[in-house]
Amino acid sequence: MTVVQHMNDPLSDSSGKTAPGRRAPRLFSFLQAHPEAVSLLLLVLICASVAAINPAFLQPSSLIDMGRASVVTGLFALGVFTVLASGGIDVSFPAVGAVAMYGISTLVLNVFPDMPMALIILLCVGVGVLLGAVNGVLVHELRAPALIVTIGTLYVFRGVLLVFVGTVWLMELPPQMVAFGQWSLIDITTSSGVTVSLPVYFLSLPLAGVLTWFVLNRTLMGRAIFAVGGKADVADRLGYNLRAVHVFAFAFAGGLAGMAGAIQASANRMANPFDFAGTEIIVIAAVILGGARITGGTGSVLGTVIGVLLVTVVNNVLVLVGIPSTWQRVVVGAFILLAAAFFVLRDRKTNI
Amino acid sequence: MKDRSSSDAPFLELRGIHKRFGGVRALSGVDLTIEAGKAYHLLGENGCGKSTVIKIMSGAHAPTEGSIFLDGALIPKLTPMAALEAGIETVYQDLSLLPNLTVAENVALGEQLVAGHGRLLRFLDRQRVHDTAAAALSKVGLDPDRALMNSVVGDLPLAIRQRVAIARAIAAEARLVIMDEPTTSLTRHEVETLIEVVNRLLDSNVAVLFVTHKLEECYRIGGDAIVFRDGLSVAQGPIEGFTRGQLAELMTGRAIESVRYRKGAPEPKVLLTATRLGRSGSFRDISFSLHRGEILGITGLSDSGRNELAMALAGHLPIDAGTISLDDRPVSIGSPSEAIDHGIGYVPEDRLSEGLFIEKSILENSVPLILSRIASRFGLIDRGKGREAAHRIAAEMKLNTADIDLPAGALSGGNQQRVLIGRWLSIDPRLLILHGPTVGVDVGSKETIFRAIQDMADRGIGLLIVSDDLPELLQNCDRILVMNAGRIVEDLRATDVDEDRIYQSMLASQSELAE
Repeated sequence: MTVVQHMNDPLSDSSGKTAPGRRAPRLFSFLQAHPEAVSLLLLVLICASVAAINPAFLQPSSLIDMGRASVVTGLFALGVFTVLASGGIDVSFPAVGAVAMYGISTLVLNVFPDMPMALIILLCVGVGVLLGAVNGVLVHELRAPALIVTIGTLYVFRGVLLVFVGTVWLMELPPQMVAFGQWSLIDITTSSGVTVSLPVYFLSLPLAGVLTWFVLNRTLMGRAIFAVGGKADVADRLGYNLRAVHVFAFAFAGGLAGMAGAIQASANRMANPFDFAGTEIIVIAAVILGGARITGGTGSVLGTVIGVLLVTVVNNVLVLVGIPSTWQRVVVGAFILLAAAFFVLRDRKTNI
Repeated sequence: MKDRSSSDAPFLELRGIHKRFGGVRALSGVDLTIEAGKAYHLLGENGCGKSTVIKIMSGAHAPTEGSIFLDGALIPKLTPMAALEAGIETVYQDLSLLPNLTVAENVALGEQLVAGHGRLLRFLDRQRVHDTAAAALSKVGLDPDRALMNSVVGDLPLAIRQRVAIARAIAAEARLVIMDEPTTSLTRHEVETLIEVVNRLLDSNVAVLFVTHKLEECYRIGGDAIVFRDGLSVAQGPIEGFTRGQLAELMTGRAIESVRYRKGAPEPKVLLTATRLGRSGSFRDISFSLHRGEILGITGLSDSGRNELAMALAGHLPIDAGTISLDDRPVSIGSPSEAIDHGIGYVPEDRLSEGLFIEKSILENSVPLILSRIASRFGLIDRGKGREAAHRIAAEMKLNTADIDLPAGALSGGNQQRVLIGRWLSIDPRLLILHGPTVGVDVGSKETIFRAIQDMADRGIGLLIVSDDLPELLQNCDRILVMNAGRIVEDLRATDVDEDRIYQSMLASQSELAE
């Protein structure tokens, strides 16, 4: 029993010794358990200062802009987070999203112009799941680092799309896709008379967030994903099916990327086979800022969403306060370095 | 699950099990029977095949040859999942816990996994996770309150983690619990709790198999001793029927062969003096001296701090306290390259991952330490000089090949080790630290390595052998330091002691040491 009492407050004897004062270790241990709080703090600070300098930021219209801008990054990020939690990494999602978007748009335009929107979305998700599963199988069977495998598939998927499906931008999408992109949830007319609307597709982000949370926390698969991300060899020994976990995590990420593709096309009223190129780093940055470790097994859906909002805000609002857009990279980079420094500190503390 | 135990056949039977890893024989024809509700103690020296046999029982390894029977039925392929479904649970020495999951999840997820035959696409029954975990934790004497259940395992102290691991093993309906060195890191009080848990398991007709070095605890628990040596089960019977001496002899098989290789004697001049060395969490208060030409052994259990001490002396780990002097001059050894500058060589335990470039030639493996010496003024390597040096090493270490362009991976373990040791001769070291020099080396090669060690000592090099192979230390060393819980507890003359005596101080618990 004495041992149990001892562990009820595990920090009292370990970090209490090393850190001066009492409040500091408590704050540190809180941040250790909730690294996304740092990003949340940054997010609040930025929003507060931007709002103080330029109150226009708090108008519904700019908030709606922000929401719209975060949807595609958010869907990608939830997928990347799932893969990261399983101990892998996925950089092929931009290609997966592009294949789903451009491939299905081409199919609808040329073969089934009357295909209902729900089916279009479903097909996009299906294509994503399929390509994601390919990633998962390759990562598992080749026993190669996921980074290398998905760099490979990033090129292969995109290359196959350009070679076999086409390279021209589709400027005239079928009407049901355009309508879906414009289907409005809330309309707001600003003082200047411009109408800004929050589209229905925005709901896909909270829905995907809840789904991801549910899968990761309320199904055995979700816990298996974290188990494998924590220590793959131990999880294997305990009877978790590594192949199933790998295939599921990558397929799930692929499905979300497919969904992002469908939304991107509908929102922009065009399908560009070169779209999403270069988004991989900013999405991974968002997930990392959300508290997930690049080595796997940690992180949360809430944290990921915070990371996405942080990155979106930095990319969109700094302009509002007169900071040139070229500075956005510096800011995002600085945040990531800050997060990296914090995580290293956190790991060092844990290892003592 | 219960109906299977009704038959008269023993729960688990291994017959004629062979296991080879590449060219290495780990098991050569093991027969073993486990009956329900009985305790077993698997005894044997390191490398005798103990861990291989438990991995076969738990389905982690498939035997190369032989058959496995469960309740009398032949099991063609025992997978990890099949073993779990049969109720075979293993508490590995590393505990096999998932550091990022909570205590409750670690304890109870396995049961849900087994209940679903390994299928993962199922909803989590959180109430059942909670109930299973709470029940299992109480059985191992832990209070299943919210704080404990929701703690992340990586944050807990080792003794608690140990019990969490046992709770996991018994959370499902276990019929055989295998415990791999469960008490190594426990205090005496915690060992008592563990023995209580074990007795409760035995009472409920669960078999328990211990893999252990601690004979004292085996006698306390009772049951059958199974002694392994060189991949074979050499004896099985009630443990009360064996004396400690008999068990030791069965394990080592070495009552007869005890050639002492050490013929020379140390020089009078002191080479190395360590004063009150300490490293937080590893070792403390380490003081000793080593003469030129002396061979000093350091032994202890794997968590005694001996490995860290060896690495610290070689500059691979920093020390927090104390001073080191070489030839009467204080030195700082902050990195491996500093150690090399002082003439300190280190041959790591795991030569495959830490020392040898396995795909490179013997030549390239022989010269990395003298690259600057065989390089021209402009930094280009003089291959002629390199070849000369490599040939000299091959000759001095009596490699079984003269072809120095052969890849190191083509050599046997013993020859690989000789390349690694020989590499250091090229810098004329003052002190050479050998970490487990004959781990995984066959008997014949051992002898050449021992002779090479003696030659080096005769040349005035100081040698430090860190090993848990006691016969090896007794055969080669002048003195043996025994480490226990981070401190040197004995400084023994190798000619005055035997294995039993050393084992005792290696295994003595904290409280015994204080007495």
